[in-house]
Amino acid sequence: MFEKPEQTDIAIIGAGPAGVAAAVTAAHAGAQVTLLDESPRAGGQYYKQPALDAKDKQFPPTVAENIRKGRELLSDLQHSNINFQHSTLVWNVLPEERILNLYGPQGAQNLQAKRIIIAAGAYERVTPFTGWTKPGVTTVGGAQLLLKSQGLKIGQRLLLAGTGPLLQLAAVQFMEAGMEVAAILELQSRKEFLLKAPKLWGHWDKLGQGMANQKRLLEAGIPFKFGYTVAEATGDEEVNGAVIMKVNGKGIPVLGSEETIEVDTICLNYGFAPAVELARVAGCTMVFDKYFGSFAIETNENLETSVNAFFVAGETRGIGGVEVALLEGKLAGAIAGSQLGFTPKVDESNLRKEQQQARKAVAALGTMFPLKSGLCKLVKDEVPVCRCEEVTAGEVRRAIEMGVTQLNQLKPWTRVGMGRCQGRICGGILNQMLADETGVSISEIQPFTSRAPIKPVPMESVGGGDDSGEFTWEDHVGYGAART
Amino acid sequence: MTATRYKKIERGKPISIMVNGEAIEAFHGESIAAAMLASGRRAFRHTVKGKQARGFFCGMGMCFDCIATVDGVPHVRTCMTEVSPDCVVELE
Ligand SMILES: Cc1cc2nc3c(=O)[nH]c(=O)nc-3n(C[C@H](O)[C@H](O)[C@H](O)COP(=O)(O)OP(=O)(O)OC[C@H]3O[C@@H](n4cnc5c(N)ncnc54)[C@H](O)[C@@H]3O)c2cc1C
Repeated sequence: MFEKPEQTDIAIIGAGPAGVAAAVTAAHAGAQVTLLDESPRAGGQYYKQPALDAKDKQFPPTVAENIRKGRELLSDLQHSNINFQHSTLVWNVLPEERILNLYGPQGAQNLQAKRIIIAAGAYERVTPFTGWTKPGVTTVGGAQLLLKSQGLKIGQRLLLAGTGPLLQLAAVQFMEAGMEVAAILELQSRKEFLLKAPKLWGHWDKLGQGMANQKRLLEAGIPFKFGYTVAEATGDEEVNGAVIMKVNGKGIPVLGSEETIEVDTICLNYGFAPAVELARVAGCTMVFDKYFGSFAIETNENLETSVNAFFVAGETRGIGGVEVALLEGKLAGAIAGSQLGFTPKVDESNLRKEQQQARKAVAALGTMFPLKSGLCKLVKDEVPVCRCEEVTAGEVRRAIEMGVTQLNQLKPWTRVGMGRCQGRICGGILNQMLADETGVSISEIQPFTSRAPIKPVPMESVGGGDDSGEFTWEDHVGYGAART
Repeated sequence: MTATRYKKIERGKPISIMVNGEAIEAFHGESIAAAMLASGRRAFRHTVKGKQARGFFCGMGMCFDCIATVDGVPHVRTCMTEVSPDCVVELE
Protein backbone atom coordinates (compact mmCIF):
# COMPACT_ATOMS: atom_id res chain seq x y z
CA MET A 1 0.00 0.00 0.00
CA PHE A 2 2.78 2.46 0.89
CA GLU A 3 6.03 3.19 -0.85
CA LYS A 4 9.34 2.85 0.96
CA PRO A 5 9.59 5.78 3.37
CA GLU A 6 12.15 8.58 3.25
CA GLN A 7 14.57 8.58 6.21
CA THR A 8 15.51 11.30 8.67
CA ASP A 9 17.04 11.51 12.15
CA ILE A 10 14.38 13.68 13.74
CA ALA A 11 10.93 14.46 12.34
CA ILE A 12 9.18 17.46 13.82
CA ILE A 13 5.47 18.09 13.35
CA GLY A 14 4.57 21.77 13.50
CA ALA A 15 6.69 24.77 12.53
CA GLY A 16 5.42 27.06 15.29
CA PRO A 17 7.77 28.46 17.92
CA ALA A 18 8.16 25.03 19.57
CA GLY A 19 8.82 23.07 16.37
CA VAL A 20 11.19 25.67 14.94
CA ALA A 21 13.19 25.89 18.18
CA ALA A 22 13.43 22.10 18.26
CA ALA A 23 14.53 21.91 14.62
CA VAL A 24 17.21 24.58 15.00
CA THR A 25 18.62 23.09 18.21
CA ALA A 26 18.76 19.57 16.82
CA ALA A 27 20.24 20.74 13.50
CA HIS A 28 22.98 22.73 15.23
CA ALA A 29 23.82 19.61 17.21
CA GLY A 30 24.36 17.83 13.89
CA ALA A 31 21.15 15.87 13.40
CA GLN A 32 19.28 15.67 10.10
CA VAL A 33 15.88 17.23 10.70
CA THR A 34 12.67 17.16 8.70
CA LEU A 35 10.24 19.87 9.80
CA LEU A 36 6.63 19.52 8.64
CA ASP A 37 3.77 21.98 8.67
CA GLU A 38 0.44 22.01 6.89
CA SER A 39 0.59 25.81 6.50
CA PRO A 40 2.25 27.36 3.47
CA ARG A 41 4.73 29.14 5.79
CA ALA A 42 6.64 28.51 9.02
CA GLY A 43 5.82 30.49 12.15
CA GLY A 44 2.83 28.75 13.70
CA GLN A 45 0.11 30.88 15.23
CA TYR A 46 2.09 33.36 17.27
CA TYR A 47 4.79 34.04 14.71
CA LYS A 48 2.51 33.81 11.70
CA GLN A 49 4.30 35.60 8.85
CA PRO A 50 2.67 37.79 6.21
CA ALA A 51 1.59 35.94 3.12
CA LEU A 52 1.92 39.16 1.12
CA ASP A 53 5.14 40.60 -0.27
CA ALA A 54 4.86 43.47 2.20
CA LYS A 55 7.34 45.23 4.44
CA ASP A 56 6.95 44.87 8.22
CA LYS A 57 6.65 48.56 8.82
CA GLN A 58 3.54 48.71 6.68
CA PHE A 59 1.70 46.68 9.34
CA PRO A 60 0.23 48.16 12.53
CA PRO A 61 3.10 48.61 15.06
CA THR A 62 2.28 45.76 17.48
CA VAL A 63 1.77 43.33 14.62
CA ALA A 64 4.94 44.52 12.88
CA GLU A 65 6.98 43.93 16.02
CA ASN A 66 5.61 40.40 16.29
CA ILE A 67 6.34 39.65 12.63
CA ARG A 68 9.91 40.92 13.02
CA LYS A 69 10.64 38.76 16.05
CA GLY A 70 9.18 35.76 14.29
CA ARG A 71 11.31 36.33 11.22
CA GLU A 72 14.45 36.46 13.33
CA LEU A 73 13.64 33.06 14.77
CA LEU A 74 12.73 31.64 11.38
CA SER A 75 15.95 32.78 9.71
CA ASP A 76 17.73 29.93 11.52
CA LEU A 77 15.68 27.45 9.49
CA GLN A 78 18.12 28.06 6.61
CA HIS A 79 20.51 25.60 8.30
CA SER A 80 21.58 22.94 5.83
CA ASN A 81 20.55 20.11 8.17
CA ILE A 82 16.92 21.24 8.11
CA ASN A 83 14.52 20.09 5.45
CA PHE A 84 11.33 22.14 5.86
CA GLN A 85 8.28 20.77 4.07
CA HIS A 86 5.45 23.29 4.11
CA SER A 87 1.83 22.71 3.05
CA THR A 88 2.31 19.16 4.27
CA LEU A 89 -0.19 17.55 6.61
CA VAL A 90 0.87 14.67 8.83
CA TRP A 91 -2.33 12.67 8.83
CA ASN A 92 -1.23 9.47 10.53
CA VAL A 93 1.60 7.94 12.56
CA LEU A 94 2.71 4.33 12.90
CA PRO A 95 4.31 4.40 16.36
CA GLU A 96 6.26 1.16 16.27
CA GLU A 97 7.86 1.78 12.88
CA ARG A 98 8.11 5.53 13.65
CA ILE A 99 6.61 6.28 10.25
CA LEU A 100 4.63 9.41 9.46
CA ASN A 101 2.07 9.45 6.66
CA LEU A 102 2.14 12.79 4.90
CA TYR A 103 0.01 14.55 2.35
CA GLY A 104 1.48 17.57 0.60
CA PRO A 105 2.31 19.18 -2.73
CA GLN A 106 3.85 15.91 -3.96
CA GLY A 107 0.80 13.95 -2.90
CA ALA A 108 1.09 11.10 -0.42
CA GLN A 109 4.51 10.42 1.13
CA ASN A 110 5.93 8.50 4.07
CA LEU A 111 8.73 9.50 6.37
CA GLN A 112 10.59 7.33 8.85
CA ALA A 113 12.47 8.96 11.74
CA LYS A 114 14.55 7.86 14.68
CA ARG A 115 12.91 10.43 16.94
CA ILE A 116 9.61 12.27 16.49
CA ILE A 117 8.70 15.58 18.13
CA ILE A 118 5.06 16.63 18.00
CA ALA A 119 4.61 20.39 18.39
CA ALA A 120 1.13 20.69 16.92
CA GLY A 121 0.01 23.76 18.87
CA ALA A 122 -3.48 24.47 20.13
CA TYR A 123 -7.00 25.39 19.07
CA GLU A 124 -9.12 28.23 20.30
CA ARG A 125 -12.01 27.39 22.57
CA VAL A 126 -15.43 28.83 21.84
CA THR A 127 -18.94 28.46 23.23
CA PRO A 128 -22.19 28.41 21.26
CA PHE A 129 -25.10 30.84 21.43
CA THR A 130 -28.00 31.79 19.21
CA GLY A 131 -26.66 32.80 15.80
CA TRP A 132 -23.04 31.76 16.43
CA THR A 133 -22.77 29.99 13.06
CA LYS A 134 -23.61 33.15 11.09
CA PRO A 135 -20.96 34.67 8.85
CA GLY A 136 -19.50 37.51 10.90
CA VAL A 137 -18.89 35.40 14.01
CA THR A 138 -15.25 34.29 14.09
CA THR A 139 -12.58 33.37 16.58
CA VAL A 140 -10.38 36.16 17.94
CA GLY A 141 -7.26 34.37 16.73
CA GLY A 142 -8.79 33.88 13.29
CA ALA A 143 -9.42 37.61 12.95
CA GLN A 144 -5.91 38.27 14.25
CA LEU A 145 -4.39 35.88 11.71
CA LEU A 146 -6.26 37.67 8.93
CA LEU A 147 -4.59 40.89 9.99
CA LYS A 148 -1.12 39.41 10.52
CA SER A 149 -0.89 37.22 7.51
CA GLN A 150 -3.29 38.87 5.04
CA GLY A 151 -3.29 42.52 6.10
CA LEU A 152 -7.07 42.29 6.17
CA LYS A 153 -9.34 44.07 8.60
CA ILE A 154 -12.14 41.65 9.32
CA GLY A 155 -14.82 44.22 10.12
CA GLN A 156 -15.62 47.84 10.82
CA ARG A 157 -17.05 47.51 14.33
CA LEU A 158 -16.14 44.52 16.45
CA LEU A 159 -17.29 42.87 19.65
CA LEU A 160 -14.72 40.68 21.42
CA ALA A 161 -16.02 38.10 23.88
CA GLY A 162 -14.50 35.31 25.91
CA THR A 163 -11.90 35.12 28.62
CA GLY A 164 -8.19 35.67 28.98
CA PRO A 165 -5.37 37.94 27.86
CA LEU A 166 -5.72 37.35 24.11
CA LEU A 167 -8.86 39.52 24.09
CA GLN A 168 -6.93 42.61 25.15
CA LEU A 169 -3.90 41.97 23.00
CA ALA A 170 -6.04 41.40 19.92
CA ALA A 171 -8.16 44.46 20.69
CA VAL A 172 -5.04 46.62 20.73
CA GLN A 173 -3.96 45.23 17.36
CA PHE A 174 -7.42 45.68 15.82
CA MET A 175 -7.52 49.24 17.12
CA GLU A 176 -4.09 50.04 15.69
CA ALA A 177 -5.28 48.80 12.32
CA GLY A 178 -8.22 51.18 12.46
CA MET A 179 -11.03 48.80 13.37
CA GLU A 180 -13.47 50.04 15.96
CA VAL A 181 -13.76 47.82 19.03
CA ALA A 182 -17.28 48.35 20.39
CA ALA A 183 -16.62 46.42 23.62
CA ILE A 184 -14.65 43.60 25.21
CA LEU A 185 -16.63 41.09 27.24
CA GLU A 186 -14.62 39.18 29.85
CA LEU A 187 -16.35 36.18 31.40
CA GLN A 188 -14.66 36.56 34.79
CA SER A 189 -16.08 39.12 37.20
CA ARG A 190 -13.98 42.05 38.34
CA LYS A 191 -14.00 40.61 41.86
CA GLU A 192 -12.69 37.21 40.75
CA PHE A 193 -10.09 38.95 38.69
CA LEU A 194 -8.80 41.06 41.57
CA LEU A 195 -8.87 38.13 43.99
CA LYS A 196 -6.79 35.97 41.68
CA ALA A 197 -4.44 38.65 40.39
CA PRO A 198 -1.94 38.21 43.28
CA LYS A 199 -1.18 34.76 41.84
CA LEU A 200 0.70 36.58 39.13
CA TRP A 201 2.83 38.29 41.76
CA GLY A 202 6.46 37.89 40.78
CA HIS A 203 5.66 37.16 37.13
CA TRP A 204 6.22 40.78 36.24
CA ASP A 205 6.42 40.43 32.50
CA LYS A 206 2.99 38.78 32.27
CA LEU A 207 1.45 41.32 34.60
CA GLY A 208 3.21 44.14 32.77
CA GLN A 209 2.05 43.11 29.31
CA GLY A 210 -1.54 42.78 30.46
CA MET A 211 -1.53 46.13 32.21
CA ALA A 212 0.01 47.91 29.24
CA ASN A 213 -2.70 46.56 26.95
CA GLN A 214 -5.43 47.39 29.42
CA LYS A 215 -4.13 50.93 29.78
CA ARG A 216 -4.21 51.51 26.04
CA LEU A 217 -7.75 50.24 25.79
CA LEU A 218 -8.83 52.39 28.70
CA GLU A 219 -7.27 55.45 27.13
CA ALA A 220 -9.05 54.72 23.90
CA GLY A 221 -12.32 54.55 25.83
CA ILE A 222 -13.12 50.97 24.88
CA PRO A 223 -15.64 49.46 27.30
CA PHE A 224 -14.15 46.47 29.11
CA LYS A 225 -17.03 44.60 30.68
CA PHE A 226 -16.22 42.08 33.41
CA GLY A 227 -18.75 39.32 34.06
CA TYR A 228 -20.37 39.58 30.63
CA THR A 229 -20.83 37.30 27.68
CA VAL A 230 -22.44 37.35 24.26
CA ALA A 231 -25.88 35.77 24.18
CA GLU A 232 -26.94 36.19 20.56
CA ALA A 233 -25.64 37.20 17.16
CA THR A 234 -28.42 39.06 15.38
CA GLY A 235 -28.98 39.59 11.66
CA ASP A 236 -30.78 37.73 8.89
CA GLU A 237 -28.04 35.81 7.19
CA GLU A 238 -25.02 37.71 8.49
CA VAL A 239 -24.18 39.44 11.75
CA ASN A 240 -25.52 42.96 12.24
CA GLY A 241 -25.46 43.11 16.02
CA ALA A 242 -25.19 41.28 19.31
CA VAL A 243 -27.17 40.73 22.46
CA ILE A 244 -24.89 40.73 25.50
CA MET A 245 -25.67 39.55 29.03
CA LYS A 246 -24.26 39.58 32.53
CA VAL A 247 -23.22 36.23 33.95
CA ASN A 248 -22.85 35.13 37.57
CA GLY A 249 -19.78 33.45 39.10
CA LYS A 250 -20.74 30.08 37.61
CA GLY A 251 -21.12 31.57 34.17
CA ILE A 252 -24.92 31.37 34.30
CA PRO A 253 -26.53 34.26 32.42
CA VAL A 254 -28.50 36.75 34.52
CA LEU A 255 -31.97 37.06 33.01
CA GLY A 256 -33.09 40.61 32.40
CA SER A 257 -29.55 41.92 31.91
CA GLU A 258 -29.72 41.78 28.12
CA GLU A 259 -28.40 44.72 26.12
CA THR A 260 -28.15 45.05 22.38
CA ILE A 261 -25.13 46.44 20.64
CA GLU A 262 -24.56 47.24 17.00
CA VAL A 263 -21.54 45.47 15.51
CA ASP A 264 -20.76 43.76 12.21
CA THR A 265 -18.33 41.20 13.62
CA ILE A 266 -18.20 39.13 16.82
CA CYS A 267 -14.88 37.51 17.78
CA LEU A 268 -14.72 34.73 20.38
CA ASN A 269 -11.91 33.29 22.45
CA TYR A 270 -12.35 31.31 25.64
CA GLY A 271 -8.72 30.29 25.86
CA PHE A 272 -7.10 27.34 24.10
CA ALA A 273 -7.09 23.56 24.04
CA PRO A 274 -4.00 21.55 23.03
CA ALA A 275 -3.98 19.83 19.63
CA VAL A 276 -3.52 16.28 20.84
CA GLU A 277 -4.99 14.18 18.00
CA LEU A 278 -1.80 13.04 16.32
CA ALA A 279 -0.09 12.18 19.60
CA ARG A 280 -3.18 10.22 20.58
CA VAL A 281 -3.17 8.31 17.31
CA ALA A 282 0.42 7.39 18.22
CA GLY A 283 -0.92 6.09 21.53
CA CYS A 284 0.54 8.77 23.82
CA THR A 285 -1.06 8.95 27.26
CA MET A 286 -3.01 12.09 28.10
CA VAL A 287 -3.16 14.08 31.30
CA PHE A 288 -5.80 16.56 32.46
CA ASP A 289 -4.27 20.02 32.79
CA LYS A 290 -6.10 21.45 35.78
CA TYR A 291 -4.76 24.95 35.21
CA PHE A 292 -6.29 25.31 31.78
CA GLY A 293 -9.11 22.77 32.12
CA SER A 294 -8.14 20.71 29.10
CA PHE A 295 -6.50 17.42 28.18
CA ALA A 296 -2.85 17.52 27.12
CA ILE A 297 -0.15 14.96 26.39
CA GLU A 298 1.75 13.59 29.38
CA THR A 299 5.56 13.56 29.41
CA ASN A 300 8.45 13.01 31.78
CA GLU A 301 10.83 15.92 32.45
CA ASN A 302 12.69 15.09 29.23
CA LEU A 303 9.44 15.82 27.34
CA GLU A 304 9.26 12.16 26.31
CA THR A 305 5.73 10.77 25.99
CA SER A 306 4.56 7.32 27.03
CA VAL A 307 5.43 6.07 23.53
CA ASN A 308 9.06 5.24 22.82
CA ALA A 309 10.90 7.84 20.66
CA PHE A 310 7.96 10.30 20.69
CA PHE A 311 8.35 13.75 22.29
CA VAL A 312 5.87 16.61 22.61
CA ALA A 313 6.64 20.31 23.11
CA GLY A 314 4.75 23.59 23.38
CA GLU A 315 0.97 23.82 23.45
CA THR A 316 0.46 20.12 22.74
CA ARG A 317 2.03 19.44 26.14
CA GLY A 318 -0.39 21.84 27.80
CA ILE A 319 -1.28 25.47 27.13
CA GLY A 320 1.83 27.53 27.78
CA GLY A 321 2.18 30.41 25.34
CA VAL A 322 5.09 31.41 23.22
CA GLU A 323 7.94 31.47 25.80
CA VAL A 324 7.16 27.98 27.04
CA ALA A 325 6.89 26.78 23.44
CA LEU A 326 10.34 28.15 22.58
CA LEU A 327 11.98 26.67 25.68
CA GLU A 328 10.35 23.28 25.31
CA GLY A 329 11.19 23.15 21.63
CA LYS A 330 14.85 23.74 22.43
CA LEU A 331 14.77 21.16 25.20
CA ALA A 332 13.09 18.48 23.11
CA GLY A 333 15.44 19.16 20.19
CA ALA A 334 18.48 18.93 22.47
CA ILE A 335 17.39 15.73 24.20
CA ALA A 336 16.30 13.98 21.02
CA GLY A 337 19.62 15.01 19.46
CA SER A 338 21.77 13.76 22.32
CA GLN A 339 19.87 10.46 22.38
CA LEU A 340 21.07 9.96 18.82
CA GLY A 341 24.68 10.69 19.78
CA PHE A 342 24.86 14.35 18.75
CA THR A 343 26.12 17.13 20.99
CA PRO A 344 23.61 19.95 21.46
CA LYS A 345 25.07 23.43 21.93
CA VAL A 346 22.77 24.33 24.81
CA ASP A 347 22.99 23.98 28.57
CA GLU A 348 20.34 21.37 29.22
CA SER A 349 19.97 21.79 32.96
CA ASN A 350 19.71 25.55 32.70
CA LEU A 351 17.16 25.21 29.96
CA ARG A 352 15.10 22.81 32.04
CA LYS A 353 15.12 25.24 34.95
CA GLU A 354 13.92 28.09 32.72
CA GLN A 355 11.25 25.89 31.19
CA GLN A 356 9.88 24.84 34.56
CA GLN A 357 9.76 28.46 35.73
CA ALA A 358 7.98 29.55 32.58
CA ARG A 359 5.42 26.76 33.01
CA LYS A 360 4.75 27.90 36.56
CA ALA A 361 4.10 31.48 35.52
CA VAL A 362 1.69 30.39 32.83
CA ALA A 363 -0.17 28.03 35.17
CA ALA A 364 -0.87 31.02 37.42
CA LEU A 365 -2.30 32.86 34.43
CA GLY A 366 -4.42 29.87 33.41
CA THR A 367 -6.23 29.61 36.71
CA MET A 368 -7.33 33.22 36.36
CA PHE A 369 -9.41 32.56 33.26
CA PRO A 370 -11.38 29.32 33.62
CA LEU A 371 -14.15 28.39 31.22
CA LYS A 372 -17.46 28.07 33.08
CA SER A 373 -19.95 25.36 32.29
CA GLY A 374 -22.82 27.60 33.45
CA LEU A 375 -22.51 29.24 30.03
CA CYS A 376 -24.29 26.17 28.63
CA LYS A 377 -27.51 27.45 30.21
CA LEU A 378 -27.39 30.14 27.55
CA VAL A 379 -27.56 27.65 24.74
CA LYS A 380 -31.14 27.25 23.53
CA ASP A 381 -32.27 23.80 22.39
CA GLU A 382 -32.44 24.82 18.73
CA VAL A 383 -28.83 26.09 18.58
CA PRO A 384 -26.44 23.82 16.68
CA VAL A 385 -23.52 22.79 18.90
CA CYS A 386 -21.79 20.60 16.31
CA ARG A 387 -21.26 22.96 13.40
CA CYS A 388 -20.35 20.23 10.90
CA GLU A 389 -23.27 17.87 11.40
CA GLU A 390 -25.64 20.60 12.62
CA VAL A 391 -26.58 18.71 15.76
CA THR A 392 -28.54 20.93 18.14
CA ALA A 393 -28.13 21.43 21.87
CA GLY A 394 -31.61 19.91 22.28
CA GLU A 395 -30.57 16.68 20.56
CA VAL A 396 -27.51 16.46 22.81
CA ARG A 397 -29.59 17.13 25.92
CA ARG A 398 -32.07 14.36 24.94
CA ALA A 399 -29.16 11.93 24.64
CA ILE A 400 -27.82 12.97 28.03
CA GLU A 401 -31.30 12.48 29.53
CA MET A 402 -31.23 8.95 28.10
CA GLY A 403 -28.11 8.26 30.14
CA VAL A 404 -25.18 9.21 27.92
CA THR A 405 -22.23 10.32 30.07
CA GLN A 406 -19.25 10.29 27.67
CA LEU A 407 -18.46 12.06 24.40
CA ASN A 408 -17.82 8.86 22.48
CA GLN A 409 -21.31 7.63 23.42
CA LEU A 410 -22.85 10.82 22.09
CA LYS A 411 -21.46 10.15 18.62
CA PRO A 412 -23.64 7.24 17.50
CA TRP A 413 -26.69 8.87 19.15
CA THR A 414 -26.41 12.25 17.55
CA ARG A 415 -23.55 12.28 14.97
CA VAL A 416 -21.74 15.01 16.94
CA GLY A 417 -18.04 15.11 16.17
CA MET A 418 -18.47 12.98 13.05
CA GLY A 419 -18.05 15.77 10.55
CA ARG A 420 -15.00 17.23 8.89
CA CYS A 421 -13.58 19.00 11.93
CA GLN A 422 -13.71 15.72 13.83
CA GLY A 423 -14.98 17.31 16.98
CA ARG A 424 -12.18 19.86 17.28
CA ILE A 425 -14.72 22.64 17.76
CA CYS A 426 -17.59 20.83 19.48
CA GLY A 427 -15.49 18.48 21.65
CA GLY A 428 -14.76 21.11 24.27
CA ILE A 429 -18.31 22.44 24.11
CA LEU A 430 -19.86 19.00 24.61
CA ASN A 431 -17.48 18.39 27.46
CA GLN A 432 -18.87 21.49 29.18
CA MET A 433 -22.46 20.49 28.35
CA LEU A 434 -22.02 17.03 29.81
CA ALA A 435 -20.45 18.55 32.92
CA ASP A 436 -23.27 21.09 33.20
CA GLU A 437 -26.10 18.57 32.72
CA THR A 438 -24.69 15.70 34.80
CA GLY A 439 -22.61 17.52 37.41
CA VAL A 440 -19.60 15.37 36.59
CA SER A 441 -16.22 17.14 36.56
CA ILE A 442 -14.83 17.78 33.07
CA SER A 443 -11.64 15.95 34.02
CA GLU A 444 -13.79 12.77 34.20
CA ILE A 445 -15.14 13.17 30.68
CA GLN A 446 -12.86 11.62 28.09
CA PRO A 447 -12.35 13.56 24.85
CA PHE A 448 -13.45 12.07 21.52
CA THR A 449 -11.22 9.24 20.32
CA SER A 450 -8.73 10.46 17.69
CA ARG A 451 -8.43 8.53 14.46
CA ALA A 452 -6.43 8.75 11.29
CA PRO A 453 -6.67 10.46 8.93
CA ILE A 454 -6.74 13.26 11.49
CA LYS A 455 -7.93 15.68 8.81
CA PRO A 456 -9.60 14.91 5.48
CA VAL A 457 -7.15 13.80 2.78
CA PRO A 458 -7.85 12.55 -0.72
CA MET A 459 -9.02 8.97 -0.86
CA GLU A 460 -6.04 7.67 -2.77
CA SER A 461 -3.60 8.77 -0.06
CA VAL A 462 -5.28 6.63 2.56
CA GLY A 463 -4.88 3.75 0.19
CA GLY A 464 -8.50 3.12 -0.61
CA GLY A 465 -11.26 4.00 -3.04
CA ASP A 466 -10.75 5.47 -6.47
CA ASP A 467 -8.33 8.16 -7.53
CA SER A 468 -10.88 10.87 -8.16
CA GLY A 469 -8.93 13.11 -5.75
CA GLU A 470 -12.10 14.08 -3.92
CA PHE A 471 -11.51 15.63 -0.54
CA THR A 472 -14.33 14.01 1.30
CA TRP A 473 -14.58 12.95 4.84
CA GLU A 474 -17.64 10.74 5.07
CA ASP A 475 -16.33 8.21 2.57
CA HIS A 476 -13.12 7.53 4.44
CA VAL A 477 -12.68 3.93 5.34
CA GLY A 478 -13.28 2.92 8.90
CA TYR A 479 -14.79 6.10 10.21
CA GLY A 480 -18.36 6.05 11.41
CA ALA A 481 -21.44 5.29 9.42
CA ALA A 482 -22.14 6.68 5.99
CA ARG A 483 -24.22 9.85 5.92
CA THR A 484 -27.81 8.99 5.26
CA MET B 1 -18.43 46.52 3.04
CA THR B 2 -17.32 44.79 6.23
CA ALA B 3 -13.81 43.46 5.60
CA THR B 4 -11.29 45.83 4.05
CA ARG B 5 -7.63 45.63 3.11
CA TYR B 6 -5.30 47.55 5.42
CA LYS B 7 -4.37 50.49 3.25
CA LYS B 8 -0.76 50.99 4.31
CA ILE B 9 0.33 47.69 2.84
CA GLU B 10 1.64 47.76 -0.71
CA ARG B 11 0.43 44.65 -2.44
CA GLY B 12 1.75 44.89 -5.95
CA LYS B 13 -0.40 44.33 -9.00
CA PRO B 14 -3.82 42.78 -8.49
CA ILE B 15 -4.76 39.51 -10.13
CA SER B 16 -8.26 38.32 -10.69
CA ILE B 17 -9.90 35.11 -9.59
CA MET B 18 -13.35 33.78 -10.45
CA VAL B 19 -15.90 33.22 -7.71
CA ASN B 20 -19.17 31.72 -8.93
CA GLY B 21 -18.52 33.13 -12.38
CA GLU B 22 -17.72 36.62 -11.14
CA ALA B 23 -14.21 38.09 -11.32
CA ILE B 24 -12.89 39.46 -8.03
CA GLU B 25 -9.65 41.24 -7.24
CA ALA B 26 -6.92 39.42 -5.32
CA PHE B 27 -3.23 39.86 -4.56
CA HIS B 28 -0.28 37.54 -4.68
CA GLY B 29 -0.03 35.56 -1.44
CA GLU B 30 -3.60 36.22 -0.32
CA SER B 31 -5.79 33.36 0.82
CA ILE B 32 -8.96 32.71 -1.15
CA ALA B 33 -10.92 33.43 2.04
CA ALA B 34 -9.25 36.84 2.43
CA ALA B 35 -9.92 37.76 -1.20
CA MET B 36 -13.58 36.74 -0.91
CA LEU B 37 -14.01 38.69 2.34
CA ALA B 38 -12.37 41.77 0.80
CA SER B 39 -14.76 41.53 -2.15
CA GLY B 40 -17.65 41.93 0.27
CA ARG B 41 -18.67 38.29 0.49
CA ARG B 42 -19.11 36.86 3.95
CA ALA B 43 -21.37 33.87 3.27
CA PHE B 44 -19.07 31.31 1.61
CA ARG B 45 -21.51 28.42 1.47
CA HIS B 46 -24.82 27.05 2.70
CA THR B 47 -25.00 23.88 4.77
CA VAL B 48 -26.46 20.71 3.28
CA LYS B 49 -28.85 19.92 6.09
CA GLY B 50 -30.02 23.27 7.48
CA LYS B 51 -29.28 25.47 4.42
CA GLN B 52 -27.55 27.88 6.80
CA ALA B 53 -24.94 30.39 5.65
CA ARG B 54 -21.37 29.84 6.79
CA GLY B 55 -18.18 31.79 6.28
CA PHE B 56 -14.76 32.46 7.75
CA PHE B 57 -14.65 31.16 11.33
CA CYS B 58 -11.40 29.74 12.82
CA GLY B 59 -8.96 31.03 10.21
CA MET B 60 -6.47 28.23 10.90
CA GLY B 61 -7.77 25.25 9.02
CA MET B 62 -9.54 23.38 11.78
CA CYS B 63 -13.25 24.17 11.45
CA PHE B 64 -13.88 23.47 7.74
CA ASP B 65 -16.61 26.13 7.65
CA CYS B 66 -14.93 28.13 4.87
CA ILE B 67 -14.69 25.27 2.35
CA ALA B 68 -15.41 25.76 -1.34
CA THR B 69 -14.75 23.97 -4.61
CA VAL B 70 -11.45 25.26 -5.99
CA ASP B 71 -10.39 24.38 -9.53
CA GLY B 72 -12.76 21.46 -9.46
CA VAL B 73 -11.59 20.04 -6.12
CA PRO B 74 -14.47 20.05 -3.64
CA HIS B 75 -14.35 21.05 0.08
CA VAL B 76 -11.06 22.96 -0.03
CA ARG B 77 -10.33 25.14 3.02
CA THR B 78 -10.23 28.65 1.55
CA CYS B 79 -8.43 30.06 4.61
CA MET B 80 -5.50 27.69 3.99
CA THR B 81 -5.36 28.01 0.20
CA GLU B 82 -3.61 30.83 -1.59
CA VAL B 83 -5.03 32.45 -4.71
CA SER B 84 -3.43 31.68 -8.03
CA PRO B 85 -3.99 33.57 -11.28
CA ASP B 86 -7.09 32.24 -13.02
CA CYS B 87 -8.19 30.11 -10.11
CA VAL B 88 -11.84 29.23 -10.18
CA VAL B 89 -13.86 29.06 -7.01
CA GLU B 90 -17.34 27.61 -6.90
CA LEU B 91 -19.35 28.07 -3.74
CA GLU B 92 -20.96 25.00 -2.22
C1 LIG C 1 -5.29 31.54 16.20
C2 LIG C 1 -4.32 31.69 17.35
C3 LIG C 1 -3.82 32.95 17.71
C4 LIG C 1 -2.91 33.08 18.76
N1 LIG C 1 -2.44 34.31 19.10
C5 LIG C 1 -1.58 34.42 20.15
C6 LIG C 1 -1.06 35.68 20.55
O1 LIG C 1 -1.37 36.70 19.97
N2 LIG C 1 -0.21 35.72 21.63
C7 LIG C 1 0.17 34.60 22.32
O2 LIG C 1 0.96 34.66 23.27
N3 LIG C 1 -0.30 33.41 21.95
C8 LIG C 1 -1.16 33.30 20.92
N4 LIG C 1 -1.64 32.08 20.59
C9 LIG C 1 -1.20 30.93 21.38
C10 LIG C 1 -0.13 30.23 20.60
O3 LIG C 1 -0.61 28.95 20.30
C11 LIG C 1 1.23 30.13 21.27
O4 LIG C 1 1.66 31.28 21.87
C12 LIG C 1 2.35 29.66 20.33
O5 LIG C 1 2.10 29.93 18.98
C13 LIG C 1 2.54 28.21 20.59
O6 LIG C 1 3.53 27.65 19.81
P1 LIG C 1 3.50 26.13 19.34
O7 LIG C 1 4.75 25.95 18.56
O8 LIG C 1 3.28 25.26 20.51
O9 LIG C 1 2.21 25.98 18.43
P2 LIG C 1 1.74 26.75 17.11
O10 LIG C 1 2.33 28.07 16.98
O11 LIG C 1 0.26 26.64 17.11
O12 LIG C 1 2.30 25.84 15.93
C14 LIG C 1 1.81 24.57 15.64
C15 LIG C 1 2.00 24.32 14.16
O13 LIG C 1 1.78 22.94 13.90
C16 LIG C 1 1.16 22.78 12.68
N5 LIG C 1 0.50 21.47 12.70
C17 LIG C 1 -0.32 20.98 13.67
N6 LIG C 1 -0.71 19.74 13.38
C18 LIG C 1 -0.12 19.41 12.20
C19 LIG C 1 -0.14 18.24 11.39
N7 LIG C 1 -0.83 17.17 11.76
N8 LIG C 1 0.55 18.25 10.23
C20 LIG C 1 1.26 19.36 9.87
N9 LIG C 1 1.33 20.48 10.61
C21 LIG C 1 0.65 20.51 11.76
C22 LIG C 1 0.23 23.96 12.57
O14 LIG C 1 -0.06 24.26 11.22
C23 LIG C 1 1.04 25.06 13.26
O15 LIG C 1 1.75 25.84 12.34
C24 LIG C 1 -2.53 31.94 19.50
C25 LIG C 1 -3.04 30.69 19.12
C26 LIG C 1 -3.93 30.55 18.09
C27 LIG C 1 -4.47 29.19 17.78
